[in-house]
Amino acid sequence: MLSLGPIIFGLILGIIIGSQIKLNNNDTHFTLGAFVIVLIAGLIVAWQSGNYPFYTDLPISTAFLSALIGIFVGKLIFARSK
Amino acid sequence: MSQGSIILKLISLPISIILICLGVMTILGGHITPGGGFQGGAMIASGIILSVLVYGIGNSPLELSHLYIEVLESVGALGFVIFGLIGLFVGGFYLYNVGTDLLNVVPQAIQTVFHYPDVTNAGIIPYLNIFVGLKVFAGLSAIAIAFAGFKKYVEEGE
Repeated sequence: MLSLGPIIFGLILGIIIGSQIKLNNNDTHFTLGAFVIVLIAGLIVAWQSGNYPFYTDLPISTAFLSALIGIFVGKLIFARSK
Repeated sequence: MSQGSIILKLISLPISIILICLGVMTILGGHITPGGGFQGGAMIASGIILSVLVYGIGNSPLELSHLYIEVLESVGALGFVIFGLIGLFVGGFYLYNVGTDLLNVVPQAIQTVFHYPDVTNAGIIPYLNIFVGLKVFAGLSAIAIAFAGFKKYVEEGE
């Protein structure tokens, strides 16, 4: 059975924190490709973490992955330029 | 104030994002693994601190506003107190675990509302971890941002 707790609250915490990422005011330009690379790296970390809080539903850490997705969603939806 | 090289600036934001995700993972596994709210909140704050140190206080992509820190800190403290009071009024003890209800004094409907949706029957412990994590994350980030701001203020005054 899929544990919904870490998925729901990981998304919520990720959106809360991702809403503060603002990229347009520093001298290093992060493009969409950079975030794709971060997503792939995050997938590898989640896979290597295994089913971290010892749930046996999926072979990856659902809390980590949902937090990563939440950060991207929060950045895309709520992050405003300064 | 920023002292990071271009390589440091390229790699810091991705590492900050990964650190934040690891912190969230630690918070959400706190009821059945080592770690919890304080440790996970400190890991999230370390991601913010890394970003602020490398990019500088004015240019950091992960810079928290005063209102944001204030709201998160208040939500963390209020949530913890409210969950404690719910346990007091429903179960008879402050911070009584109304989601698990070991003493069988809580109605089934209230128990269902406060039951964390996973297989471990942990009750309100994960929610308390989340609130503590929010509070620690906001508090430690505020300390680092304040120190960076003081340093910038002193440097501008010289």
